[in-house]
Amino acid sequence: MDPKTTMAPRDMQPELSLLSRLRRGDEEAFAELYRRHKDAVYRFALLWTGSAATAADVTQEAFLAFIAKPEMYDPARGSFGAWLCGIARNFARKEAGLREDATDPSDLLADHALPEAFVENVTPEGRLLADERADQVRAALAAVAPHYRDVLVLCELCDHSYAEAAQACGIDIGTVRSRLSRGRAQFATQLSRLGLLAGSPRVKEAS
Amino acid sequence: MNTPQMPPLSAVEESRLEDRLAELRSASHAIEAPTAIEAKLRQAFRAKARRESSRPRLWWMPPFALVATVAAVSWIARGPTDLPVPVAAPVQASLDDAGPFLALRPLSRIALEPSATIVRTEFPRAYLAQLGLPVAPERAGEPVQAELLYSADGEALAVRLIDPN
Repeated sequence: MDPKTTMAPRDMQPELSLLSRLRRGDEEAFAELYRRHKDAVYRFALLWTGSAATAADVTQEAFLAFIAKPEMYDPARGSFGAWLCGIARNFARKEAGLREDATDPSDLLADHALPEAFVENVTPEGRLLADERADQVRAALAAVAPHYRDVLVLCELCDHSYAEAAQACGIDIGTVRSRLSRGRAQFATQLSRLGLLAGSPRVKEAS
Repeated sequence: MNTPQMPPLSAVEESRLEDRLAELRSASHAIEAPTAIEAKLRQAFRAKARRESSRPRLWWMPPFALVATVAAVSWIARGPTDLPVPVAAPVQASLDDAGPFLALRPLSRIALEPSATIVRTEFPRAYLAQLGLPVAPERAGEPVQAELLYSADGEALAVRLIDPN
């Protein structure tokens, strides 16, 4: 069985306990929840938007939305992490809508605000090559249509299950599967155009 | 409409695609959210907690409003309405003792009337409905004999049916 089709069983009790304390105004409970999920939300936002500054804004907005209405999260509907990614996804889309050039691959290539950890650290020459290739790969990802990018980032890059991706995007698992397949194909096409896949650029054919 | 479809990936392309995804995945695993965010969020959390603690606790308002509404509705449904009430003591002696007057205005208003006049009249039974009295639809067109108590300025204060049947 595909391990991505089901959510890994995990003990949600500690998280629910933190949520309960948080709703009573316990700041330390909020801090603990934040530390558990901040990196995953930020990574998702960074991979989705391709910009560190926008990803930081998106992460902050997602948690602020949670602070404002913590009752919005319903544990019966899935994991807290996937729910937060869903909120971050909405803000990322909003950011992309407000700033159309945020997902423009040419702008992303020129984005020097990305953290060092985003590229491989090898020799200076290797670093230059890897740096350039990492930029190109990110640009290729940014060029994938947003609704395909959602599931591509969630499932392939952030280790979320199909069920969690479905929860975050508000779609069913079958749609996650089909979007993932198309998202991979679009990503491959973009990589191919940049010469990062073997062979000549892939061409669309009409059915 | 034709939907553009991609040709399937070759084994080499598939392998390269997996490589690129793996590179991105491994590069992004080391990424952490900027530390400055936590301080801002904690500040927002504290501000919200302060707002909530300073706000008067009004949790009891909705149930109280519900109970009050139910009580008011049931009182209106069961209690006396605007139906005319019998006048215990008519202002002036009537010509005969046909029955009690039904007040059409508040009793306090009638009591203050210095020179009320009783006038015997006849009107269609349907008019009784306007005075708040029950009228059978099939008899609405029949005439009915009544005495009306008028104020000095011609306002109808009370009515008494001579032939209530």
